[in-house]
Order: sequence, then C-alpha cells, then structure tokens
Amino acid sequence: MQFQLEMVTRETIVIRLYGELDHHAVEQIREKISTAIFQGAVSTIIWNLEGLSFMDSSGVGLVLGRMRELETVAGRTILLNPSATMRKVFQFSGLGKWMMEATEEEAINHVRGIVNG
Amino acid sequence: MDNEMTLTFVAISENEALARIAVTAFIAQLDPTIDELSEFKTVVSEAVSNAIIHGYEEDGQGLVTLHAKREDDVITVSVMDKGMGIEDVSRAMEPLFTTKSEMERSGMGFTIMDSFSDQLTVISKWQEGTTVTFTKKFYSVRMPVM
Repeated sequence: MQFQLEMVTRETIVIRLYGELDHHAVEQIREKISTAIFQGAVSTIIWNLEGLSFMDSSGVGLVLGRMRELETVAGRTILLNPSATMRKVFQFSGLGKWMMEATEEEAINHVRGIVNG
Repeated sequence: MDNEMTLTFVAISENEALARIAVTAFIAQLDPTIDELSEFKTVVSEAVSNAIIHGYEEDGQGLVTLHAKREDDVITVSVMDKGMGIEDVSRAMEPLFTTKSEMERSGMGFTIMDSFSDQLTVISKWQEGTTVTFTKKFYSVRMPVM
C-alpha cells in the first residue's frame, strides 16, 4: 500500500492511494493521514482513487473516519475516480453523492468554485 | 473438471491479501470479467477480515480456514473461524451495524457480501465460531469453441 499526500491549498488536501486498500493497509496509513489533516487547516479532502486496484469496506471506514474529523469545520469530501466495484461499495454506504469523475485539477477547481461561489 | 481447495492461516491482517490472491488464482480457470473478479475479491476480503478482526480480535493464534469449491461455473467459498462468534446474526447483518466503531469499521461488510454474491449463509454460535458461506455463478466472457 502506497499513498501520497499533497496540500494543494491551505484548506485542500489531495490523498492519492495506490495498490490495495483493505483493513491491513488502512491500519498502516490512518495515523499518518489523520496527523496531516490536523496539522493544516484542512477542510476538504480529495481522495484520488485512480491508482487503487482494490478496496473493501475498510476504505469506507477510512473515509467516514476522516469525514468525522472534519465535521467541526464543515469539511468536504470528494471521492475521485473510483472503479466500478468501488462505486457500488460507496453507494451501499451512502457515500455515492461524494463521488466524482474528473481530473485532479478539475476536482480542485470544483472545490474552489464551491468555496468562492 | 471441478476443483476444490482449503487454505488455513493465522488471524493476522496481512493474511487478508493472501486469501484474496488464493481465491483469485482459484477462479482464474473461469476467466472471470474484471468486475466479477473484483466483486468476488471484495466478498472474500470482507469475510476474512471479519474472521480476523471480530472472530479472533487479531490475536495471531486463531486459525481461519478458507474452503473453495468450483462446480461448473459456480464457486462456493466458506470462511470459517473458531473464534468468539456473533451474538445476534440478524443484527450484525444490518447495514452500518458494527461492534467496532472505535476501529472505524463501517458496518458494511455483510451488506457487501450479500450484494456481491448470489447466496450468503452465516452460521454462528456465540463463543464457538462463525462460518460464512457464499456462492456465485460466473458468466464470464467465453470464446465459443470452434
């Protein structure tokens, strides 16, 4: 399991996930992601799932957990480019409305649009 | 020719990937589509994670047994543990129900297993263990035999 964190603005972080995201992988990366979020003034997380080859409900737990951490700042979540199977998993879990098919840049601009508009 | 396999491993989280890889190899003969394969891997992952996390609380000692069987285009997989069992199976199967919210478990495991398989059976006895069995017919895209 590999991942990259990038602060694209003061409020927006992009998290790129690679490989397989299961319970084992989540346990390895949750702390690091959580710490990064709390260090900045993050209010938007863009999860770039394009490089992810597999995800089970542990991924849902990871996303929901971070959404909870951002609740106090009315945070926003974008699930960018999930696979067909991941789409179903997010739909079952009530996260379907946060999914987006776009480039990272488009997603970042979309977030800016919401903030400014 | 039908086929059958049994794999037994200790309850540590790194074996979740092992179980997925073993099942992926096992069903390769059926030439599953990408979606069939990824959905089935998800079911396996949910069942095995449950056995490791809930059955044995990742004690690294309890044994999880995965049994897979292929009859024509139908795969049946059982994931068995002799761990703590489920107190109330119907409650455990409700979407979003979890006993481990502090671990950020989403409570979606059984919903996913149910949705991505044709048939799902959960047999559990408190303090004795759980067996989850699921069946799936693979339609795959096959080349016609000339």
